[in-house]
Formats: sequence, C-alpha cells, structure tokens
Amino acid sequence: MQFDNVVCAFCGCDCDDISVTVENGRITQARNACVLGKTWFLSHSAPAHLPVARIEGKTASLEQGIEAAARYLAQSRYPLIYGLSSTSCEAQRKSVELAEVLGGCIDCCTSVCHGPSGMALQGVGEPTCTLGEVKNRADLVIYWGSNPAESHPRHMTRYAVTPKGMFVPEGRKGRTVVLVDVRRTPSARTADIFLQIRPGKDFEALWALQALANGRELDKAGAAEIGLTLEQLNDLADRMMHCKFGVLFVGQGLTQTRGKHFNTSAAFLLVRALNRHAKFALMPMRGHGNVAGVDNVLAWQTGYPFGVNFSMGYPRFNPGEYTVVDVLSRGEADAALIVASDPAASLPGKAARRLAEIPTITLDAHESETTKIAKVAFATATAGIHAEGTVYRMDNIPIRLRKVLPSNYPSDEEVLSLLLARVKELKAC
Amino acid sequence: MTTLTLKLQPKAPLEGEAITPDNFLGKPAAAIAGLPAMHGNEPALLGDFFQVDGDGSEEIVLVGDLRRVKSIAAGMTRGTVIIQGDAGMHLGAGMRGGEIKVYGNAGDWTGAELAGGKIYIRGNAGHGLGGAYRGSRRGMNRGLIIVDGNAGNEVGAVMRRGVIAVAGNAGDFTGAFMIAGSLIVFGQMGIRAGAGLLRGSIVSLKPAELLPTYRYACTCRPDFLNLIYQKLKREGMSIPDGCATGAYKRYSGDFNRSGKGEILIYDQR
Repeated sequence: MQFDNVVCAFCGCDCDDISVTVENGRITQARNACVLGKTWFLSHSAPAHLPVARIEGKTASLEQGIEAAARYLAQSRYPLIYGLSSTSCEAQRKSVELAEVLGGCIDCCTSVCHGPSGMALQGVGEPTCTLGEVKNRADLVIYWGSNPAESHPRHMTRYAVTPKGMFVPEGRKGRTVVLVDVRRTPSARTADIFLQIRPGKDFEALWALQALANGRELDKAGAAEIGLTLEQLNDLADRMMHCKFGVLFVGQGLTQTRGKHFNTSAAFLLVRALNRHAKFALMPMRGHGNVAGVDNVLAWQTGYPFGVNFSMGYPRFNPGEYTVVDVLSRGEADAALIVASDPAASLPGKAARRLAEIPTITLDAHESETTKIAKVAFATATAGIHAEGTVYRMDNIPIRLRKVLPSNYPSDEEVLSLLLARVKELKAC
Repeated sequence: MTTLTLKLQPKAPLEGEAITPDNFLGKPAAAIAGLPAMHGNEPALLGDFFQVDGDGSEEIVLVGDLRRVKSIAAGMTRGTVIIQGDAGMHLGAGMRGGEIKVYGNAGDWTGAELAGGKIYIRGNAGHGLGGAYRGSRRGMNRGLIIVDGNAGNEVGAVMRRGVIAVAGNAGDFTGAFMIAGSLIVFGQMGIRAGAGLLRGSIVSLKPAELLPTYRYACTCRPDFLNLIYQKLKREGMSIPDGCATGAYKRYSGDFNRSGKGEILIYDQR
C-alpha cells in the first residue's frame, strides 16, 4: 500500500512530500526522502522486540511500569524531564503538565543545540521568516557554521537553493549561495563562495560584518585575525547589503562554540543592521524533527522556551541553572524522565554518570544507552510512523504527522497521560 | 548578631531568599528558624538546615558550605551579611542596600541586577557577576562589587551604573553590552571584552585582545581612576603599585554601538 504526502519527522526540515510504501506490516520504500529520512522510515518501522515496559531490566506490564515510574517521580525533590525533541507536541504538552505537578525542571534538546539562539532572541529580537519566503524570494543564501548537505540533506534542494520561486524564477541560477565555516564541508560543493574562517572567530567575523553594514571601515589586521582578507569581508558585506532578499541560516558552529549566545546575538544584530539596506532574515538550522515544537509548546505554556523550573510552583527560566547539563553535573536532579532522547550517549561524562546514579525513566522507540541504565524503560510508538501528532518545522510552521503503520506500543502521549494521572493521585492534587 | 550554622547539607537546591537582615530584624531565633525555605519542591524551614543563634539584629553571620543555598540576601536593603564559607547562586541578587562579605567563593549571578549596596568576595566569583538575567535590559544599577580572586564570564554584562573590581582574572565577554559604569580587572580579561559597549569604562592592568570595532584613541592618566582606586583601598582591596598614577592606553568603542565607551589598558612601559 502506498501513502503519499507523508511527513518525515527526522530532522528540522520536516519534509511533507514523502511517498511511503508499506508491505507486510513494514515500510519498504520512502520515495523523495533523503538518506537520513529513508533510514528513519525503514529502521523505525522494523518489528521491535522490546517489552512495553521494563523495570530494572526485567519485563513488566505497562501498569506495573507506570506505577514504578510514578513512585520514583513523586518521591523526588528535584526531578528533571528532558528530551522531547523527537516526539509530538501533544506528548510535549503532557510533559510540561507533569513537570508542573512534580515541581521539577523541564528542559529539551534545545539547551544543547540552539538554546543560545533562544537566549539571543530574548536579548536582541529575531528577524526571521518562513522557508516558503526563502524559496520564493531569497537571492542570497548564507549558511554559517552549518553543514546542510549532511545534517539537513533536502534543505538546499527543497527550500533554500535549487527550487524555483515566485520571485526567483531561475531557481539555483537566481541565487548566490555562501558558506562560512571553519573547515571545508561537503556543503561547500553547492556554494558559490566558501569562506573559511579561523576556529573560534565567528563572533569577530559577524561583528566585523556588522561594522561594515553600519558604514564603518576595518583595518587589514582585524580581517587577518578572523582568517579572511579585507576584500573577502568587504565583498560579503557588499553582497549582503545589495541583495533583494537575503537569509542567514545559522548552525551549531555558532551556538555550541566559545561565545555561544553572544555568537548568535552577533548574527541577529548583523541581520538587524542589514535590514537598513536590504530585506534580510535569519533562521536557526534546527536539528531534530520537533525541537522547534518543544520550544513553542514550552513557550506558550510557561513563557520560556527551555530550561524551565517549577520548584516554586510557578515557572522560572535560567539557562545555566535549570538546564540539563547543569542540573545533572551539579548532582541536583534526583530522578529523571527522558522522553525520546539518548542523553547518556550525548551529554558530558559527569552529567551522563549522574543519570546512572539516580532513578532514570525512559520513553523511547528503541534501545539506547539511556534505556540501558534506566530503572524503568517504556517502549513507545514512533510519532510520524505509528502515531499521529503535530510537529513544528524549523521555521515554526506546524505540520500534522500521519500514522502509516499500526503498533503494539502506546504512543509517548498515552504513556505520559497515564504517568501524569498516577503522579497526580500520589501527590494528591 | 544572628548566626546561622549549616547543620544539614541540603540534598536539592535550597532557596535562601528569606535570609536577609530585613527579614530577621527584631525576630527571636525561634521565629527565624521558622522562616520558610523551599528545598527543591518541598516546603521546608530554615531551622531544618541551620542552627540559629542570636537576637535578630541587622548583622547576620552564615557558617558552612552554602553552595547549594541559592539567593542568600537577595533583595536586601540594609544591614550586614557575613558568609564564612562558599555561597550559592544569586547571592545578593537585586540587593538595594547594606553589605555582604564572603570569606570563600560565590556562585553564578552574584550581585546580578544589583541596585545598591556592597558585596566583597574574598575568593572567586562565578559567571554573570553583577550581570543581568536572560532577557533583562539592565544588569547592575548602582553599588559596588569587589572580588579578591577570579571572576567567570560576563562580568558586568548590560551593567548600567556602579563599580565592579576584580583583583584576579575575568572570563570572556567582560562588560558585554554594558550601558555605563566602571569595571576594573587587575588580572587578565578573557576574549571579547566590551562587546557591544555603549558607554562606561572597562579598565585592565594586563594587555587584552580587543575586538575589531575598537580604535586606539590616546594614552592618558585619568583622574577618576585614582579616585576609584582610593575608594577600593578604603574598602580593603590591595591596589597594585603604580597603577593609580600610571598611564593608560585608551581604546574607544564599541563602534557597532555609539563608540562612546572606553577600554583603558595600563601602559606597562
């Protein structure tokens, strides 16, 4: 059976034009999908042999798992809920409610990817647009500290570079593509201009471009420090100021290197300065399929996009205080609920070790380093393959996921609803 | 004098907002021990964690490893708080008057958005000293902070008024987006000091790597520095020889903003 216009919820592109073929209860083909999307559809639809719940590695029923997990969480003084970027907004909503009932911290993968972009947004504002505007208008496309050819393989072909748009009828020929990075990545092949800056000089480069956009002159020494010539910087600034519609896509090369939120602040301020000369926008290259969704859900429910704490009964926000790495590595969290994420494999050693010391509960479609150390591990259906739901694309456009396969497993939302109900009973609220 | 001695180390962060001279004034020890303090998500009392002795005067002495106790003396307006040990995050945040002395290290956001009063840290300070909370338009706005040791990143970020003096080194983005005020670092500043500086002075006694949006203006001997050094000396800070009367290279910036700010670098010749 074939399903058309299925959404691939793997990366922040959330491509909604995938044709999926289902044979004998599993997906055998995912047409239009990129290499990452194909792997996601094919591997996540493979028959799973995990029990629905495991308590300390032993098979248990869903009810037993919920009871054990609820007790661990209800007894906790400083519980942490983390992950959420690869599940539906509906499950994210339940997680926020659970965090409030528990009086704990809730954080998402944003805090270790584009959290600094969120902090920059609060500090200086975000001049942004949608991917539709990029497709139809952008004649200058800049990727900075991002390697879309490998991280978002269809970003260039579907949204930003090759498609023909309303005001860019020639498609690729009508656009200039610039890549700025500290090394030559496979994305450089698509770029018209590749600028290799010195590692750790992103802030200085963006700051210098802003100075040029503000009409200031720079000296050669300043440019050499960045790793470029003054001519290269002047040329880029000139292209930026004289385009019809420019867009700057920023990746984790900015947000997770020294300077973090100040790097993205510099990018936001540059784009703000450029809008005095041309129409210009900025967009963070969000990684996971619904990481933009969890920012949105948290923001509309608590007022803050990540790193939120409910200990006092009301939401408080402070990256560095309530964010996952800090709460774990300082040894503050005494229980953790991990939804659709694998922090034991990805976080710094000290934080990952803390997860093994405390009761950790996981909701995941497959086995991971975190499920291996979990006290209670639930196997759940994959949103977008076995379960419906809503995700937000990297430009904050909501997209509805489809269910193409039946599943023996409950969805994240269903498990979280049961967990929430039991925690409410235990907390008597 | 009221003395609070830590008798039980909190397992989760303890919210110590209640520990201010304003709150303690006129209360007997038993009433102080009965003041609320959230322990993680559980309501608790100060007396659960501290041995309280004293008479509820304007002077408070805290003894113990208080790294897990947050917001001590936050928002205080009067009196003295002396900490014999390390203090947790948000020490004296939003404080409006009085004095805090820490004979140990202080955590992140110490003196954040300070609006008056003095903080003296004998050890090291964390990140965001005298800085602003995320999304805030202003950091420290009046007051004085002295650190004998080192300070972390973003010292005096978005600072509006007041003086911060760090005897050791300061981290990256010292005085970032500072609006006005004075910031003095005797040691080495991290990278990108004064990024987005609007007005105000950042002084360093060691050479610093400056952003491309700063320009050398002149070499001078600013009188105001001598006055600040005299004030710091009166507060108990030891001032390196020669810096009060020596020459400073003045760099103006940040030209991505008004260009009315300055970074003064001690001319060691």
